[in-house]
Amino acid sequence: MKILLWARRWPTENGWPSLGIILFILFAAIILLVTAPLVEFNPITIIKSTGNFFSFLSNLLTIPQWSYLPTLSQKMLETLAMGFLSTVFSFCFSLPLGILAAKNSSPLPIVFHLTKNLLSFMRALPEIVWALLFVSALGLGPFPGILALTFVTTGFMGKFFAESIEVVDVGMVEGVQATGANWLQKVHFSMLPQAIPDFIGTTLYILDNNIRSATVLGFVGAGGIGYELISSIRLFNYDRLILIVLAIYLMVTILDYLSTQLRSYII
Amino acid sequence: MMSKLPPKPFNWPLLILGIVLFLTIICLVYLQLPFGELLRSGDNIGEYLSRYTRPDFSELLTYLWLMVGTVAIALWGTFFSLTLSFFLAPLAAKNLSPHPFIYRIVREILNFFRAMPDLVLALVFVAALGLGPLPGLLALGVHTSGFLGKFFAESMERVDKGVYEGVSATGSNSLQLIMYAAWPSILQEAIGYTLYIFDRNVRMATVLGLVGAGGIGVELNTNLRFFNYEKAATLMLIILVTIIAIDYLSTYLRKKVL
Repeated sequence: MKILLWARRWPTENGWPSLGIILFILFAAIILLVTAPLVEFNPITIIKSTGNFFSFLSNLLTIPQWSYLPTLSQKMLETLAMGFLSTVFSFCFSLPLGILAAKNSSPLPIVFHLTKNLLSFMRALPEIVWALLFVSALGLGPFPGILALTFVTTGFMGKFFAESIEVVDVGMVEGVQATGANWLQKVHFSMLPQAIPDFIGTTLYILDNNIRSATVLGFVGAGGIGYELISSIRLFNYDRLILIVLAIYLMVTILDYLSTQLRSYII
Repeated sequence: MMSKLPPKPFNWPLLILGIVLFLTIICLVYLQLPFGELLRSGDNIGEYLSRYTRPDFSELLTYLWLMVGTVAIALWGTFFSLTLSFFLAPLAAKNLSPHPFIYRIVREILNFFRAMPDLVLALVFVAALGLGPLPGLLALGVHTSGFLGKFFAESMERVDKGVYEGVSATGSNSLQLIMYAAWPSILQEAIGYTLYIFDRNVRMATVLGLVGAGGIGVELNTNLRFFNYEKAATLMLIILVTIIAIDYLSTYLRKKVL
């Protein structure tokens, strides 16, 4: 990583960025320019369509349809319940998988490699792709959404759990081992107690993430507020749309605040 | 004579476990999930999933090219969000922001960007700009700049006070303070965060097509709608392999950098 060594010399004596940074920026600029036609990037289109954008936004300045509130709150509760349930389920799956996927707590090297690859397979595809699949298999409703969320976040949570187990202090593990503990006792009494604060942080993060994802799963019919959102955009029901957007914003902000508070309290 | 025992510590974990269990039961009752049906229709589901086991590779090159386009969307989205957060992050850091009021406003803007899911933003941008990858990359950029801006700002707040004092002792103005104290100190962390965001953007770019915002998702959505299971399987396989490859690459790079 020569580039980084150069970058560490920033700021330089003459006040200009160092050679490494200039080279890196040039390299990035070339890649971006080469790929610009692929993404149809065109500043003129962006500038031209600002009018469209603002006229779309101005549509939102209507009187909200207050009679819609009961349905909205019911759908928001459904979204919250989906996020919460999928977090609980994926916690149950990722605790054993995480223990098996950590190098120091896995019983056999082959189990370690197998679980690790299984976890990276589970988290590779985005939730919404799995949701599409499960909706076709199981029909509409929150159930396929919860399955998809559980499946994908187990991949993430298991990986995070394994990472926090891998960094535990060796001394405590050796101490427990010296008493003649077997594998399960070693994991239970020396590794898990050290990793639990990390586990709680991870779980809160996943809960946050799951509730966010649950808001868009409805786009493919997998329950939650997303279906209402996409149908009110498609049907130009701006008086409902404004309420939905506000509700999502409020929910996510409150959750963000709560999980930050909880995390700083625990860790 | 026995001295008085200290009070027994309250068993928090048990209480938390109880609350979680209670909430779980409430949610299960509220949503009425058909677990029984899942078990009963196991054969049907198995049959349905088995339709995806025969991927059709006849249009592999077209699909690979679509995937390249998808990665390009993610790259541009990351670039866009990096540009936005380069300007917003110093304003959102408590110790660098020119005024507490500006700090509050920028923080709220970043919160709003984070709160809006990227698929929702993509829908809005598609409505304004028309179909294609451009609204997709804008949506990714806006949404993730909420994350990057917050991460950068928090890193800048954590930098040792001495660094800022050292630079301002040379008589630098606030712009120079940001360029010569804040950014160089958090450079390594910033690279790590950017790699993480790029990783995330690649995953999201593959599904932006569901709302018509370009990338491989458009093709995946059409094929699933028309029950072309073989082609959909190929597309999913390509997405899977690319995401795993990029995951490994970014983990490797992050280890090198940090």
